[in-house]
Amino acid sequence: MAMARRYVSTRVRRREDPQLLTGRARYLDDLRLSGTLSVAILRSPHAHARLVEVDVRPALAAPGVEAVLTGEDVARLARPIRAEMSGPGYKTSGWPALARDKVRFVGEPVVAVVARDRYGAEDALEEVRVTYDPLPVLTNAELSMRPGAPRIHDDLTDNILFHTRFDNGAVERAFVAAELRLSHTFRHGRCTSAPMENRGALASFDAAEGILTLWASSQSPHLLRSGLAEALDLPESRLRVICPAVGGGFGPKMHLYPEDIIVCLLAQRLGRPVKWIEDRRENLLTSAQAREHVNHIEMAATGDGVILGFKATLICDVGAYSLYPVTAALEPVTAASIIPGPYRIQGYSYDAYAVATNKCPAGAYRGVGMALGTFVRERLVDMVARRTGLDPAEVRRRNFIAATDVPFTTASGLVIDSGNPTESLDQALEAAGYDALRKDQRRSSTTTYRGIGLCSYTEFTGMGSGTFRRRGMSQIAGHDAATVRVEPTGEVRGFVSAASQGQGHATTLAQVLADEIGVPMAAVSIVEGDTERCPYGSGSFASRSMVVSGGALILAARRVRDKVIAIAAHMLEAARGDLVMEEGAIFVRGMAARRVTLGQVARLAYRPASGTLPPSVDPALEATQYYDPPPATFSIGTHVAVVDVDAETGQVAIVRYVVSEDCGTMVNPMIVEGQIHGAVAQGIGAALYEDVVYDDAGQPLTTSFMDYLLPTTMELPAIEVVHTETPPPVTVSGFKGMAEGGTIGATAAVANAVADALAPLGVEVHELPLSPDRLYRLIHQARKRP
Amino acid sequence: MKPPPFEYFTPASVEDALALLGEHREQAKVLAGGQSLVPLLNFRLARPRYLVDLNGIPHLDYIREEDGWLAIGAMTRQRAVERSALVRDRCPLLAEAMPQIGHVQIRNRGTIGGSLAHADPAAELPAIVAALGGRLVVRGPDGERVMAPERFFVGYLTTALEPFELLVGVRLPVRRSRTGHAFVEVSRRHGDFALVGVAAALTLDAAGACADAALALTGVGPTPVVAAAATRVLVGQRPSAEAFQEVGRRVSETLEPDSDLHASSEYRKHLAGVLTRRALTRAAERARGGEG
Repeated sequence: MAMARRYVSTRVRRREDPQLLTGRARYLDDLRLSGTLSVAILRSPHAHARLVEVDVRPALAAPGVEAVLTGEDVARLARPIRAEMSGPGYKTSGWPALARDKVRFVGEPVVAVVARDRYGAEDALEEVRVTYDPLPVLTNAELSMRPGAPRIHDDLTDNILFHTRFDNGAVERAFVAAELRLSHTFRHGRCTSAPMENRGALASFDAAEGILTLWASSQSPHLLRSGLAEALDLPESRLRVICPAVGGGFGPKMHLYPEDIIVCLLAQRLGRPVKWIEDRRENLLTSAQAREHVNHIEMAATGDGVILGFKATLICDVGAYSLYPVTAALEPVTAASIIPGPYRIQGYSYDAYAVATNKCPAGAYRGVGMALGTFVRERLVDMVARRTGLDPAEVRRRNFIAATDVPFTTASGLVIDSGNPTESLDQALEAAGYDALRKDQRRSSTTTYRGIGLCSYTEFTGMGSGTFRRRGMSQIAGHDAATVRVEPTGEVRGFVSAASQGQGHATTLAQVLADEIGVPMAAVSIVEGDTERCPYGSGSFASRSMVVSGGALILAARRVRDKVIAIAAHMLEAARGDLVMEEGAIFVRGMAARRVTLGQVARLAYRPASGTLPPSVDPALEATQYYDPPPATFSIGTHVAVVDVDAETGQVAIVRYVVSEDCGTMVNPMIVEGQIHGAVAQGIGAALYEDVVYDDAGQPLTTSFMDYLLPTTMELPAIEVVHTETPPPVTVSGFKGMAEGGTIGATAAVANAVADALAPLGVEVHELPLSPDRLYRLIHQARKRP
Repeated sequence: MKPPPFEYFTPASVEDALALLGEHREQAKVLAGGQSLVPLLNFRLARPRYLVDLNGIPHLDYIREEDGWLAIGAMTRQRAVERSALVRDRCPLLAEAMPQIGHVQIRNRGTIGGSLAHADPAAELPAIVAALGGRLVVRGPDGERVMAPERFFVGYLTTALEPFELLVGVRLPVRRSRTGHAFVEVSRRHGDFALVGVAAALTLDAAGACADAALALTGVGPTPVVAAAATRVLVGQRPSAEAFQEVGRRVSETLEPDSDLHASSEYRKHLAGVLTRRALTRAAERARGGEG
């Protein structure tokens, strides 16, 4: 029976906001367990060195210190973190929670001190004496992958953690036919997600029950529990992971980190709660970073702008370790597979590498791989426009997949299940007033140049186990799950394996559940982020919560609803098919007086008298559903960025920003738009501001927000969002993921706008971020050319 | 990011503060708005044994006109200066620079004296004082001394303040007639320290020729750079795009700025020239328009 949707597709206000905005939400550092001790961690000042000696005795004697943990201790108590991947081309070494033989990046944990408070713990760190024997440092992936380069992991044959090669068999033919061939090298800077709330972990060991509980600022409580169980060699039944309010994640909070293991070991040893709160310096040194790529790419096209093929070599600098559960392969694999985008490309081949360096490990970050792949491709599309004299919009039109081609298998083998890129482009151009923008684009005598940048993209969302198994990512479940329970007093609760980091699940999942059951939202609540209360699932990353947890919730709700209807039919002596459930009441269609409430049904369901339940219906109103969606459903979109570039100073101002997106049925358009605003900000950050910089000795130079530059409200434009809704045929809900599209589209759109602005000066854009200094040099070099 | 242990004092008068500084000398640090010192403490880059907090001292928070000078107390919050009608009227150059210092939250805490005594080479306020030929009022055990900026700003994060002295105020000459000012800077983001900033003051004579010109730059050397030689050529000339371009060229070629993460030396030199021209152009327009 199709549900009439009352809440889905409406701008319901976020239920979590009153708490969040008045400071009453409880984040990890707000949790108070009596007797909690604080951990501070001594981190390596060297990018690559042998550990010669670690002397912690003076620290043990410092005031307030309860214990000190070293790499030797950890080696006896826990296994190194291992990021596993099946299939060829991947190799990995473990990451011990505290360094033992070697340190491999600045910031790597070496010694943990636990004391009465963080001040005392940090003071005691200064008493630890560590002798290092420095080793040659690798900060450049292309140097690190050369034969004979110093090895970062002694047990591996080289520093190439992952390599895969792909050829769809049509690429040579495409290049032979080409009238236009482009060959370029693109570089994307290293980014970090910089959530407002840093990471944190609080562990407590209940010796009587033998249960270790970890409160963590995490996106993936169950995957974290599985990783911890492996590292600590504990059965999962002895481990509980709880996520309190989480202040932003963006990917990096889906990993298992050394600090999670350290607090668990210390809580077990001391029998007291132990807490570690990441400070901003630690966040910028050690929370998973992302993006850093070099991409050598050739493109073949016809003289009239039809793109025939790509040959790409993607080299991704993944830092010192491969991260659980995504592995070092995540970034290069995703980038390579997304390069064909929404276009009909005949030929495609690539070599994709993940290369270890002496830097912070790289992992998941909003738009992982897709931001880079889209940047490279969309820049090339604009270069074709410049070479052929066609408008960039026209080049896109000539290459788009048509709506009638869908489902379409791209040159990299991804199946685009739904969506119409031409419609998306048309909508974005109309909203932006593109023709007028082009007419107004004055490139006269002033020093300010206006540019218009487009980006058309596909966004890989809601991935099921099929995608993770195909990639060999064996540590990610791929499914999610929900339990729906109607309590005896009639309230409806959904327990899901998703874990919100601020994106509003308490509202959006409640909208979905209220509609599926047929009750007012006030009767519905959502529980997530607790491995004991919620069923096992993957968690919230890769734009999956609405598709996968939302899908599980719908399926579980339907089972509960069917049972409610069955019981109500029995109570009303009516046929099930004649019953309607709305606003928490079940009544006979057309006879509203013949009704029972959900509360009446629930009371009966939990305390049935003999014969009051229909035959073959069990007591209680509860169902658990696991949902493994298809490999992916694709969202699509188009961004239009309008910039003014001051050619004298190299400064860029974004003067207009328009997004057209299609994520299928929108659960809550307000939240969709809010997600897009934040995501676009991060994409703009990567385009213009953000770069984690290391010097040649592997010392990070961007260890505060004075140097790692996030765009602020002062730098960001108003972001206009328009929608098309093409529900995917492949998911149960009609939803697609949409959390990353803003980031994916924005980096490329802004880069294209800057390149467009400076086209009269002969400037092309290959490297990010587009700092004023970099633009000054590009302009200066272009002017020197004859 | 927790500071190492320190002992904390809250003197109730300048005299008490000076006594503490006299006693503890190099081991003491003065806390004003805390916008630079507290991060340095939390990074453990500054490790004073004693912290002397000036926030409990009355009478260091004022903005008033005295004998042709605008006088500002060292503990005056930057936000108060930004919002002061007196500052806008008597010292429009300072008023124009204020919103470019950090963000509102920073200016709510940050003080005039704290920024000047910290002497960050890319800060706005030292350049303003240098461009206007202001005076820095310093109190020590033997009384007050009044210093010119070229003597006060000694080097990178270094002033002529002795460990037993306090900066208690700053004086800026009030705006003269037929004078226009401008402060322009390029920073990576709004509120960041300037990559290069230029403060300009230009006075016209009755005939519209340049009677006086002053220029100071921030971000291009260890202290504010006063470009006296380059501006001297303007005196007696009518303001023109060519003349300002030429001053910009001259300013640029005399500089040897450092490179850092956000700007190369070459780019800073280039920016200094561009911004000098822009600042002088705007100052001249304002001098002609009578808007300061």
